[in-house]
Amino acid sequence: MTAPVEIAGLGYAYGEGELRRPVLRDIALTLAPGEIVLLTGPSGSGKTTLLTLIGALRAMQEGRCRVLGEELLGASEGQRVALRRRIGFIFQQHNLLGFLTAQQNVAMSIELDPATSERARLERATAMLAAVGLSDRGASRPAQLSGGQRQRVAVARALAGDPGLILADEPTAALDRQSGGEVVRLLRDLAKRRGVPILLVTHDPRILDIADRIIAMEDGRIVPTKQAEAVPAP
Amino acid sequence: MNAHARHPPVPAATPGYLPWAPELTGEPSPPPVARSPRRIDPAAALWLPARLAWRQLRAEKARLFSAIAGVMFACVLVFMQLGFRSALFDSATALLASFRADLYLMHPLTVVSFKPETLPRVRASQALALPEVAQAVPVYLAQATWRNPVNGTRRPIQLVGFDLEAGVMDFPGLAPLIPALKQPDTMAFDLRSRPEFGPVPALLADRGPFQAQVANRRMEVVGLIEIGPSFGADGNVVMSETNFRRLVKERLVSQVDLVAIKLAPGADPAAAAARLRAVMPPDVRVFNGRELVQFERDYWEEATPIGFIFMFGSIMGLIVGMVIVYQILFSDIASHLKEYATLKAMGYSNFYLGRAVLSAALILAVLGFLPGFALSTALYDFVGKGTFLPLEMDAERALGVFAMIFTMCATAGLLAMRKLRDANPADMF
Ligand SMILES: Nc1ncnc2c1ncn2[C@@H]1O[C@H](COP(=O)(O)OP(=O)(O)OP(=O)(O)O)[C@@H](O)[C@H]1O
Ligand SMILES: [Mg+2]
Repeated sequence: MTAPVEIAGLGYAYGEGELRRPVLRDIALTLAPGEIVLLTGPSGSGKTTLLTLIGALRAMQEGRCRVLGEELLGASEGQRVALRRRIGFIFQQHNLLGFLTAQQNVAMSIELDPATSERARLERATAMLAAVGLSDRGASRPAQLSGGQRQRVAVARALAGDPGLILADEPTAALDRQSGGEVVRLLRDLAKRRGVPILLVTHDPRILDIADRIIAMEDGRIVPTKQAEAVPAP
Repeated sequence: MNAHARHPPVPAATPGYLPWAPELTGEPSPPPVARSPRRIDPAAALWLPARLAWRQLRAEKARLFSAIAGVMFACVLVFMQLGFRSALFDSATALLASFRADLYLMHPLTVVSFKPETLPRVRASQALALPEVAQAVPVYLAQATWRNPVNGTRRPIQLVGFDLEAGVMDFPGLAPLIPALKQPDTMAFDLRSRPEFGPVPALLADRGPFQAQVANRRMEVVGLIEIGPSFGADGNVVMSETNFRRLVKERLVSQVDLVAIKLAPGADPAAAAARLRAVMPPDVRVFNGRELVQFERDYWEEATPIGFIFMFGSIMGLIVGMVIVYQILFSDIASHLKEYATLKAMGYSNFYLGRAVLSAALILAVLGFLPGFALSTALYDFVGKGTFLPLEMDAERALGVFAMIFTMCATAGLLAMRKLRDANPADMF
């Protein structure tokens, strides 16, 4: 099995000419299949930028970045759009479509697959909602759900398309401690069961225990890692 | 804190699960979605974005209704403008369109029928020399003042005089009146003349033929014919050539306004017209009925600003409708930028989302057109009765207006689509 994410010598800078400001320098990172990796670090260290590069949401500038077998350096917009379909994203905000029900929101991540029928999509969405413990809320709109429930729908949506990789940026930031913990553990369980690797950016020390590995970033570089178990409880 | 201790790896690999899968409770995992090698359905590529657009439109009822109202407004405006335009042109040519001869001779310098350049009466006799021509009758046109028999007000009315018995010119209702119209100082009144000429049909029904004053002469109204008001004249009266000459004394008998020709049975109108053109001197132009009406219509369309005014009104309606639709689609995108960016992060292309925006525009086109069409049909009926203009909905105009509204909404959609570029999935984190 090849690694779902292989990065070497990745650099990235915002701005042009005089205003050019490098934010990532010589990043090397490999995710093993099924591995759950947490990315931490001070604000402004470049975590989000790295995540958007891996997620093919931004064009690469230098280095090598191979995600799910696709080289991202020099990839066209069309190739990046196609790759995104194979990645599940979970954002800080749930970003569900307000005019769709929970079930329809989850089904949206499969609608791009032309080989699925409407029935198969809805069944799949229902099953995914059941897996996140929301089998009775399929017909609810996001506005009728609690914050934790919305984020669980977002987890179901990210997983429904059978992604090869899950990228999450502070998914618990908008949640209280209890529901934040529930959501990431749910995410971890579902991902582990399918063998999907997760790269999760977080500042939240309460969820560090879900990680197989913790990576710290500082000023655009990855600093030598400690073991997950070694992270002290606050 | 670390109350949730990490579970030790599960040693034996359960089929379908990786060896490190944690706390499996026996609950079956949802089956992966079936990716059958079924062929790509092109209908789904149009239907799914359209459904997404409809769900979004439906979610905000107030916005949806104001968009529909905007399209409906544009639709009604365009229908009314086009309706008035064609009604005015139709009514402008009502008199000529009611003539029933095969061919007509007119002076080439005549630009509009109510200000005709005269041609010599002998052209009628010359035309008769051709074997194809069965009848050729001179037609006299003039305007005179009609005094309302009830309240005495005066209005200009169109006089039409010709040889009634030749059977070349015919109007609905004329045939049974011919014997009566042969009497001196008689005329037939156009029952569709505007009501300002007086309640002539009611008076006729009430007390039979009665005296009315035309061009300061008393004439007897003996019956009703049907022509319809036109631009040049709000009403018409028809009379024999002799009575016309009595009424319009300054006109020379030898100078006529139009010659109406009836062809021999079986004669080819196009060939006959060509022969007439060949034999007639250059003071004659030959028309068939359709050409005569078109000639008159061209005058009103080209020599007057009427056509432009209504075109301008239609275009304004379409622009206002487009701005409304654009505003609504634009603000829909602007207020859902996050959602659109999320969809892009999920792998939805700009092209797919563009199709969704365009679908929304076209849904609005259809939803606005249908009530607009119904309202316009009702307004045609209502306004037509009030103005005596022949306002009628026909399929051709309905399709034309739908095409315009469709284009208007599509343009608005294409303009609003540019806003999608602002939805950047990289800003989502
Ligand atoms: N779109 C942008 N244009 C220019 N500079 C940017 C942009 N996005 C981020 N930066 C800069 O790049 C650096 C890294 O930002 P990034 O968002 O990756 O940090 P982060 O580690 O995710 O921080 P936080 O923990 O606060 O989310 C910061 O100094 C930031 O100011
Ligand atoms: Mg960040």
